[in-house]
Amino acid sequence: MISSYTLGIFPRSEELIEATRKHTSNLSSLFLKETKEYISLQKKAKLGYVSDPLLKWDDIFRPFAQLKSVKFAALNRIYEMNTFYRRLFFKNGVKGGGNIVKSNLAISLLPKNRTVCLPEPYTFADRHLSPKNKSKDEFVIELAKMLRKEALTLVKAGFKLIQIIGPSIAYNINKVDLDLVKEGLDILTRDVKAKTILHFYFGDVSKKIERLLDLPVSGLGFDPTSTPVASIKKYNFSEKSLAIGMVDSYMTKVENKKKCISEMNQIVSKTKPKDVFVTTNFDLEYIPKEFAQKKILVLGEIARGIKYV
Amino acid sequence: MSKLFPTQEIGSLRKPSSLLSLVKKPGISDEEKAKTRNDAALLNIRTLEETGLDIIYDGEVRRVEMYEEPVRYIDGFDFAGRVRSWDNKYYNKARVTGPVKFKGNFHEYEFKFVRKNSKKEIKVPVTGAYTLADWSYNEHYKSKEELIIALARNVLRPLIKDLVKLGAKIVQIDEPAGTSHPSEMDIFKESINESVKGINTKIVVHACFSGNDYKVLAPQMSEIKAQQYTLEFANRDAWNLGTSEKTRKGFQVLKLFKEYGYKGEIGIGVTDVHVDEIESPQLVRDRILFAAKALGDPSKIYVNPDCGLRTRSRKVAFNKIKSLVQGAGLARQKFK
Repeated sequence: MISSYTLGIFPRSEELIEATRKHTSNLSSLFLKETKEYISLQKKAKLGYVSDPLLKWDDIFRPFAQLKSVKFAALNRIYEMNTFYRRLFFKNGVKGGGNIVKSNLAISLLPKNRTVCLPEPYTFADRHLSPKNKSKDEFVIELAKMLRKEALTLVKAGFKLIQIIGPSIAYNINKVDLDLVKEGLDILTRDVKAKTILHFYFGDVSKKIERLLDLPVSGLGFDPTSTPVASIKKYNFSEKSLAIGMVDSYMTKVENKKKCISEMNQIVSKTKPKDVFVTTNFDLEYIPKEFAQKKILVLGEIARGIKYV
Repeated sequence: MSKLFPTQEIGSLRKPSSLLSLVKKPGISDEEKAKTRNDAALLNIRTLEETGLDIIYDGEVRRVEMYEEPVRYIDGFDFAGRVRSWDNKYYNKARVTGPVKFKGNFHEYEFKFVRKNSKKEIKVPVTGAYTLADWSYNEHYKSKEELIIALARNVLRPLIKDLVKLGAKIVQIDEPAGTSHPSEMDIFKESINESVKGINTKIVVHACFSGNDYKVLAPQMSEIKAQQYTLEFANRDAWNLGTSEKTRKGFQVLKLFKEYGYKGEIGIGVTDVHVDEIESPQLVRDRILFAAKALGDPSKIYVNPDCGLRTRSRKVAFNKIKSLVQGAGLARQKFK
């Protein structure tokens, strides 16, 4: 199977940025209008899975601020990007969860072939603050349990594919405790009846692909701007799905369709994956809306051009 | 400067409301706009002087913002649109689509105005090559490094040279992105050194909020051709008084600078620019005293806010600066 989807948050339009800043009376209707537009565009692009553009989310972790006993801490840089997120402090550990993500999505607007992203537990723990009496391992496990509840709710709500975003694994690949990552994912994905694709970006994971193939997820997703394609081609993905972020969310230049299709065909013939996905390498919000729209369309075209035997 | 613990600003202040409301008015003439900008610059200069700061500028009152302003005047850039900084704060991000070229000194009028109207020593801030490249899409040069070096040689160097020709004695190269990519510290070093090659004036480098507490900067400091670094510490420090290691946790990295043999000046951030609470003069004093002890040479310590104060209201910003000046005075008394 060849399919496609986008990762994470989409960019707000200039109009929406201004309306949010001024808190204009038409703000809610504007959010709704742009959400509908982005969903329509993904359908027009014939993406295999359609995402909520998450326009109200100020960062990928922000909805979890609604969890009990979470307080906002200082702004922190998103890895090495010129964008910041608000750190969350889990004052009394991780409590609640199960309906946070779902309640922050425009479910009724999404088609049946819907996808959504969840943070990978190690990444979540790496980016936020636990109470002093909790070890990092305990924090990861608590977060994984909470995220599992979220995933089960999302499956019930019809999500067929869950993107598990793990940039901290990629960013810290030489230091990360992959056993702990595995433990967290074991909990998160247990009994989750949807495809789970773990995405790596913001770091080169080429030297650990063999270990990553052991992780309890349906598939792995790579960013070719940080993990060289040549290193991915060395492995057999017959037991896993493979997602490649051919569309670069950190460049306004639109991808050369032919070149991407040819590259994907080569990857597929070498790795023989169970399923193939073409995706963005990370959130489209790192480019302005005008460019994001063009990239969504080209993403669909690339996916349709791949030959999978 | 002969006095201990000279005080200085980093750069930006929130623009006066008179300026903001006027520039948005439809049909306003260029003369009126220019007059309002001059008035606003004069207001900032006088107010900063009245706080007692030793080294000042104009609060960057004429600049749109530290990235967008220079990019407007450099050939090779093309604005793509707004990209998120955090929450609903966005910046106008440009892409590099051709060779970068210096078209002329875009800070000339501003600098001449401050020089003419200030009674104090002045320090002119310019946005550094590394940050300009890091905050842009590179869609022309083969690598980020190539773009950075082109900006350093073809834009920053002629700009700084011209400012020096006009009389600039202190130039601060603003590099908020400077330490945000630990694996690129050699490129960062090269970008500063290329920017200031052949220039004979005091160079200050300002880097902030990288998230790695300058641990990646420490090994490079002595090799970068700068006489001073203005850095942020206050936001990571405790608010209680004292000069113990435990209390002044935000300033610990100063010891690392010493271990790496750095012998130049440090402008220590004693004021958190992300909170409204005003640091007391006593807290400022203790931060200075700890820094002087950690660095081992009080004569190398300058005192400033963590970063530009544009994130605060003007009232809060000036109150923070007043407290900073008083705190430096208290610290000086300890060395009498």
